[in-house]
Amino acid sequence: MPREAEPSTNEQAFLLSALRENIRLDSRAFDAFRPIDLSFPGGPDEYGTAEVRIGKTRVLAKISAEVVAPYADRKFEGVFTIACELSPMGSAAFEVGRQDQSEILLSRLLEKTIRRSGALDTESLCIVAGSKCFHIRADIHVLDHDGNLMDASCLALVAALMHFRRPDVEIHGEEVTVFDVRERDPVRLAMQHQPFCVTTSYYDGGAIMLQDATLLEEQCRDGEIVISMNRFGEVCSIAKYGGTPVDGLSMLTCTNVALEKVKMLDKLVKDSLAADEKRRDAGGLMAELSAENDR
Amino acid sequence: MPLDSSIYTLSALRLDGRRWNELRRINGQISTQQAADGSSYFEMGNTKIVCTVNGPQEQKRGGGRDQSNEAKVEVEIGIAGFSGVDRKRRMRNDKRIQEMQYTISSAFQNTLFTHLYPHSTIAINLHVLSQDGSLLAACLNACTLALIDAGIPMSDYIAACTTGSMASYADKEDEADPLLDLNGLEEQELPFLTVGTSGGEDKVSVLIMETRVQMARLEAMISVGLDGCKQIRSILDGIVRAHGKKVLESKVS
Amino acid sequence: MATITVLLPGEEVPVDQLPKARKGKLTLGPGLRHIAPSTILSTTTGSLYVDHKKSALWLEHDNGRYQPAVGDSVIAQVHHGGAESYACSLTPHTSFALLGQLAFEGANKKTRPQLKAGDLVYARVSRASKWEDTEIECFNSGTGKAEGMGPLKGGMLFDVSPSFARRLMMGTEKDGRSKGGVVVLEEVGEKVRFEVAVGRNGRVWVDSSSVRETLAVGRLVTQADEGKWNLEQQRKAVKKSLRDL
Repeated sequence: MPREAEPSTNEQAFLLSALRENIRLDSRAFDAFRPIDLSFPGGPDEYGTAEVRIGKTRVLAKISAEVVAPYADRKFEGVFTIACELSPMGSAAFEVGRQDQSEILLSRLLEKTIRRSGALDTESLCIVAGSKCFHIRADIHVLDHDGNLMDASCLALVAALMHFRRPDVEIHGEEVTVFDVRERDPVRLAMQHQPFCVTTSYYDGGAIMLQDATLLEEQCRDGEIVISMNRFGEVCSIAKYGGTPVDGLSMLTCTNVALEKVKMLDKLVKDSLAADEKRRDAGGLMAELSAENDR
Repeated sequence: MPLDSSIYTLSALRLDGRRWNELRRINGQISTQQAADGSSYFEMGNTKIVCTVNGPQEQKRGGGRDQSNEAKVEVEIGIAGFSGVDRKRRMRNDKRIQEMQYTISSAFQNTLFTHLYPHSTIAINLHVLSQDGSLLAACLNACTLALIDAGIPMSDYIAACTTGSMASYADKEDEADPLLDLNGLEEQELPFLTVGTSGGEDKVSVLIMETRVQMARLEAMISVGLDGCKQIRSILDGIVRAHGKKVLESKVS
Repeated sequence: MATITVLLPGEEVPVDQLPKARKGKLTLGPGLRHIAPSTILSTTTGSLYVDHKKSALWLEHDNGRYQPAVGDSVIAQVHHGGAESYACSLTPHTSFALLGQLAFEGANKKTRPQLKAGDLVYARVSRASKWEDTEIECFNSGTGKAEGMGPLKGGMLFDVSPSFARRLMMGTEKDGRSKGGVVVLEEVGEKVRFEVAVGRNGRVWVDSSSVRETLAVGRLVTQADEGKWNLEQQRKAVKKSLRDL
């Protein structure tokens, strides 16, 4: 029987008194993330799956592509949709089929961060204007919920998008040939920038702020501020949905902390991608296929 | 439709003749519907919202739902098909609308004294008759008025407005001026955010931004927004007091 | 003495593992079922533990949800108060266990503890079966005394696996060795003063004079469970965290 498991009053009181003494339950610094593990499971020819683990939270993102007709009012752009489902696998509190608040917020935030900000260049997905384009579909699965789903999902989605290769196409006049993965090497997606989400939870009306809350910390917090930005310092979205009022200055400090974290996440993604590239290219094929000559 | 940005400097005027820090014409009335417990009609320029409040009333789906000892705030927004430039029938399950509903209900859940009404629901219904920018801000203001009319105790008004930045059109740093209270056309082109304050001048209760902007511009935008909210709060206060005076006078005479 | 054989559900316990029965009596612990006349079947997966001295056998299983059994001490969280009893949860997202409003020591209609949603109580399972709601009580209905049960104030709750909780509750042998193989609490108790309550449903409540101490004790317990530490590792970790305090 799914029912929101509220923490006991003892736990809530203890958490708050610990935070007031500057101690987090797992002894992290207030702005420290739990250990993040980013991997790209799948065979050597399968691109576009990313699994993120932040502490015990696990999120899987998968990208797939197919050829469809574009929307009538956007003839020159491809289609990009994000589907996000919270199933009971992630937490016994989630119900199957019913779209509850947290799921809607999660998908809206991901859409704002990645779709609205134009992280993925949809014009590059167009094949023949008005009749054929690529439909890139991102599926997010929450495997384990231990707090901070937002950041984990965004990280997984961006990493998967950067990892994914779509089939190559060739156009001869009116004819379009979509090559299979085995016929021609697939092509990466054109990403204009890489946005990441950083969620800040606050307590005591803004006096105590911390990043990367665990499930217990999330249940006891006064409110949260979700900031999405890329490493250039461009803020893609800020969301503070009600919650106890916080003064404006603290929000700006949040943004500064978020920038540091985003730079850290960005580096993490780039390093993981490079390591994965090497792993898949174990036979040294890339070096062989390269046309560079030693001089 | 691209904006003609050459006219947008600090000294000059915007498309509708306002300067950078001027609000649009704001008009509000309380107690417009007798059938509801509380109602209001709010205009922010051409954005017109009707709001009705029913509550606190018994939980509709009670029985076994012994939840926390607080009232629940439920919000429903209906956007009329004729409200925008093109006639569009908005489905109620639109995620954007659901997000707005959640924002409003979450903002008031923390401002209203919900612990006074355990196990009950406060239902807020918003109808958008015309939208020309600042939709979320106008909804929040309309809700505040309607809730005051319904007599539900709250800790303070929630006053909201939008601010934008000329950043995308500015060549130099100092030309990226913040703008107050954007209309529909400006919202489509410029980065903007909606900010709502409650309980003090600098206390931000709601902050939603969906467009890309440089971090450095944020400070200016937020401070202009807070100032705008202060003005809106005094306007809302004026509306409430004027209505109260009218009611008292009609009772006395 | 413990011999480690792993059994899957439905397997028979091999005859040579059975202890020599004294007076023909054999005690079966959790996870085993007796099929007349002489077969013992396992009902869950687990490692078989045999105690020859007491002629007892049982299955130990690390994970899994706690199944209420009569006589177990548990830590329950009150969800809401009904007409006659409080609805408490022993494990999250399961049906509620009922705690009678008068099931406390010396309680009558006028003087009874007023529990609110979210309070923790240390209780004993009085009735548990597949077909009815589990019932718990905060006093020993036989003697009428509280024996340490009742509402828990302050402190902090930590989650462990049910089998670890069982080992914590096993106590010590006569020569001082811990029966369950967990010495964490005893070792820390030499230097730090704290109060602890262990619930068989996988919850440990710790209260100490300062936040730091409570956190240190709780963290040792949860890490010992997760890391499956043996005695040496436990002692080392305790020494290390005592130094930090």
